[in-house]
Amino acid sequence: MAVENLAFLIPVLPALAFVLTFFLGKKLPTGGAIIPIAAIATSFIISLLITLNLLANPEEVVSQSYSWFAILNVGILVDPLAAVMLTMVTFVSLLIHIYSTGYMSHDKAPSRYFAETALFTASMLGLILSDNILQLFICWELVGVCSYLLIGFWFEKPSAATAAKKAFLTTRIGDVMFLTGIIVLFSDLFKIFNGNVPDGVYILRFDEIFAHIPDLAAINANIFGMEVSHITLITLLFFGGAVGKSGQFPLHVWLPDAMEGPTTVSALIHAATMVTAGVYLVARTFPMFIAAPDSLMVVAYVGAFTAIFAGTMGIVMNDLKRVLAYSTVSQLGYMMLGLGVGAAVGSEAVGIALFHLINHAFFKALLFLCAGSVIHAVGTHDMRQLGGVAKVMPITAITMIIASLALTGIGIPGTSIGTSGFFSKDAIIENAYLFGETTGTWLPYIFSIAAALLTSIYIFRLIFMTFYGKPRTDYGGHESPASMTIPLSILALCALVFGGLTTKTFNTFVSETFVNNFVNMDISSLATLGGYHLAEHAGEEPMLILWLPLIMALAGLVITFLIYGLKIVNMDKLVSRNNPIYKLLYNRYYQNSIFTNFISVKVIYEGFAFAGRAVDRGFDWIVKWFSDFTLEAGESLRQFQTGAVQNYATAVITGVSLLVILIKVVMEVL
Amino acid sequence: MMPILSMIVLIPLIFAALALLTKTKEQARVIALAGTVIVLLLTVYMYFNFDSTIADNQFEELAQWVPSLGITYHLGVDGIAMPLILLNAIVLPLLVLFTWNDDRKSPNKFYACILATEGAVIGVFAALDFFLFYIFWELTLIPLFFMVSIWGGPNKHKAAIKFFIYTHVASLVMLLGIFGLYFAAWDMTGTPTLDIPTLISQFQFIESGIAKDMIFLALLFGFIVKIPSFPFHSWLPDAYTEAPTAGSVLFVMLKIGGYGLFKVMLPMLPFTASPNLMITIMAALGSVSVLYGAFLALSQKDMKRMVAYSSVSHMGYVTLGAAGLISLSVSGAMFQQFSHGLIMSIMFMSCGVINNTTGTRIMNDLGGLAQKMPKLAVIMVLTFMASLGLPGLTGFIAEVSVLAGSFVNLPSYVIIAVLAIVITAAYHLWALQRAMFGVYNEKLGTVTDINTFQTFSMGVIAILILYFGLHPNPVFDMMMTNSEHIVSLMAAMGV
Repeated sequence: MAVENLAFLIPVLPALAFVLTFFLGKKLPTGGAIIPIAAIATSFIISLLITLNLLANPEEVVSQSYSWFAILNVGILVDPLAAVMLTMVTFVSLLIHIYSTGYMSHDKAPSRYFAETALFTASMLGLILSDNILQLFICWELVGVCSYLLIGFWFEKPSAATAAKKAFLTTRIGDVMFLTGIIVLFSDLFKIFNGNVPDGVYILRFDEIFAHIPDLAAINANIFGMEVSHITLITLLFFGGAVGKSGQFPLHVWLPDAMEGPTTVSALIHAATMVTAGVYLVARTFPMFIAAPDSLMVVAYVGAFTAIFAGTMGIVMNDLKRVLAYSTVSQLGYMMLGLGVGAAVGSEAVGIALFHLINHAFFKALLFLCAGSVIHAVGTHDMRQLGGVAKVMPITAITMIIASLALTGIGIPGTSIGTSGFFSKDAIIENAYLFGETTGTWLPYIFSIAAALLTSIYIFRLIFMTFYGKPRTDYGGHESPASMTIPLSILALCALVFGGLTTKTFNTFVSETFVNNFVNMDISSLATLGGYHLAEHAGEEPMLILWLPLIMALAGLVITFLIYGLKIVNMDKLVSRNNPIYKLLYNRYYQNSIFTNFISVKVIYEGFAFAGRAVDRGFDWIVKWFSDFTLEAGESLRQFQTGAVQNYATAVITGVSLLVILIKVVMEVL
Repeated sequence: MMPILSMIVLIPLIFAALALLTKTKEQARVIALAGTVIVLLLTVYMYFNFDSTIADNQFEELAQWVPSLGITYHLGVDGIAMPLILLNAIVLPLLVLFTWNDDRKSPNKFYACILATEGAVIGVFAALDFFLFYIFWELTLIPLFFMVSIWGGPNKHKAAIKFFIYTHVASLVMLLGIFGLYFAAWDMTGTPTLDIPTLISQFQFIESGIAKDMIFLALLFGFIVKIPSFPFHSWLPDAYTEAPTAGSVLFVMLKIGGYGLFKVMLPMLPFTASPNLMITIMAALGSVSVLYGAFLALSQKDMKRMVAYSSVSHMGYVTLGAAGLISLSVSGAMFQQFSHGLIMSIMFMSCGVINNTTGTRIMNDLGGLAQKMPKLAVIMVLTFMASLGLPGLTGFIAEVSVLAGSFVNLPSYVIIAVLAIVITAAYHLWALQRAMFGVYNEKLGTVTDINTFQTFSMGVIAILILYFGLHPNPVFDMMMTNSEHIVSLMAAMGV
């Protein structure tokens, strides 16, 4: 039996694990963790086999579709893009589950935890191998609800319940845009088919959508006086969904709060099962974006801005997990930028963005799990109380330093020597440079290079404050058990070498997705459809451009070493706590005041909802006035008002008879 | 062949009379369970013998009644009515089980009301003669009136009267429409008939455009008050909130307004003098209901009142989808009725349970109930997710079909409705956060989780929400058949 036929099991096994763990987990040791671990391990093996098979035979894409209801379908599609995602998600999720058996051993509801994480993984896997946009959306929403359940896992904590709600609602704003995009797309395709969709044609399947890109580009909408082609409109709406899910500005606000759940959940959310969904969505629908250069421009700008914006907040946070959360936001910005520059480099952008996504998954999962290991041991995530943890927890410290090196992208340009992040992040920055050359817009490049410095500062600040020097408080602590350190070591190995090993093959493999299999038009003619041309590869970039990211990373390392390592520079003297910029950053640009306190509470709740109440009382009053008026008019008939229903019924029948006569008369006249 | 439809309609009414004669709670509830289970079995039998590939009326029964006035005893079901009968037949026995251990005054009358409502509501769905239709339509009012005014909350009398008068006035206007149609057809053909399919097919031959529009609007008014749609919804929050839990669930089963929209209004729509105006009216009322209901729900402090307003919001999809006039949107609107019935049943049951055990439904006074009532928490979270339109559950199927389908013809109205999606999520999650999560409010004393009967009935409905959310075809297919039929009529008229 060919392994392709087992592809459907990849999401189904974790979904079954959810059901089993939910109902039986309590009776098993460690909350039944073995069920999801076994299921996800099997899914991992299947994904890996399919990926290897695709690597050898790129044309053997798995594609199966079945009718669902009406003209909609369910189906699976495993092409190179999906295959690498599946393999990464199952792999990282598997390690996190193994780690969780140690981490959650003291919790009072481990079975609920493992059930929900299994469902979380299943939803993400279902999202990845969807062969149509609606199914992708469905799994997208399931991912959202699982994150809601897991962020609010300790629901008896009010802050957890609040954070969960905030995460769900903020991403939901994006989801609504995504759904609107699907609705517009559906209605366009429905009209293109003139309402007669033949049997067996499922109009929301990706191949069907891509085949109609020229038709979609031909439809124009007039929005606030601007002529916008529907392909631009739809892709922007899709990107709106990605902004919510992938924590891009301005919908990133939920992500730093999302750490109210267990740290392992943060690792899942930040690395594997949630925030990457938005990047994947843009990558999946990339042919549509290519035909909509304006949308790609928006993607590039939002991504680059998010990268630097989140970086500025990362450098002032004192909470271990919060620094990592802003780091994720920033890195996701890089991925979006990597896709946005597709306007210059074509389908190569997908390969590079995905490459960074995978590398990031390894080192970010590692960073969170290391943080979890520290928190598990010392019981706090305030870095100001830590220091010198390396002595107590050597494995955790070493793996975390490896992850940081991968995050900052340390490596030697022009060679295959470097950490994972080096290969992907530098490629994105170089593409941003190429994008600047082609389009003449340099801001994305400038943002991305500045963000590289910020990245290095915030992460090495974290390392020095946490692991270096002497303990600032008496926190005790001990190295974590093997169930936790082994996953750390495996991830550290990946963070160290995965990039270097695969850099040659990965990009071509993934970028081939849209060259061979899907689009009956090639990428460059789609670009022509969008009214522009892709850049010719002009050969090597200048030496400085190649070395600049590394210089930035090293500069950050030196700066933080001076401040937090050697303490030569006293930060408190340099920047006062009342410095307006410091306060702005430390208070996270007052986003909470703006979004939560002003927009949600003042405008939506106290404004609209209460206005609605007033209007509703108005309607009630009108009805009451109307009935009072009628009753007063009927004052003379008061003696008949006995209050018994049968008397009213008599009156009703009398009235009806009169009305009948009236109608008869009216009909005659008409 | 046995007259299965007559049995489904009459058995609950007969059992209602039997229930009245009982003396104790134990006897009454057994009668109620027996009656509703028999109806369920008959309905399941009918469902499995129903041909979902044809749009015609099936299981028809026809007998002359008052020939001089054209009144007949005519019953039948099509793909519009079948799912709604099924909904009632499934939920009602579960409702009886849900109330199994409750203590209340006059249980015999209580169960008689439940049974009578079931018979009357199914009667509306089965009637193919306007005379019968109207009788059953009005018959639904009486048990519900008593339900609210006997077993209701503190303001029960006001709410009961308001509900009764308000919807009754609407019924009278609808009756005017029926008479208008009846007399106009009588004038044209020379023979009186109240047969629904006949009258609908003769509607197009009425010469006067004003008369056609008047008839249409009168009928429409009757139906949308019952749905209810903005701005005729103000009876609903009071009635739903003051009713006892069983009464609220019965209100939810009262899907006759939306049914009328599909069964009577849509086939007539293309033949009115100004179809585009009618479509605009329906689309505007539907989309505004969705948004308006959501904002109102957000502003509520009483959980049951919030659920009541969310009902207004959800039913807006029915009106909007009907106006969408694409087979997908019309089927989605029909499916929304089905889905809403299942979801709201659990929502109201949850409110009832919480009120019974804690003595309050004010969400700020609750808190942390999930720790003490884990079974209720699981079912509630699932249902709230279904209600806010989470994929994999029934609400999503309905909403996405309505929104995607309606967008083809009514893009701007769909955008209004789409705006409500985030608000809808907000009030659901906020309610969960305040009532179920967070620190347990010690002032509530000891609370008890749902009992076995309640777990069973809520659990079964929850499973159905999941089942039909993943696999809507068992009811969606027949809805699709009928909506394609309706839409093909429109296409023939060039609407």
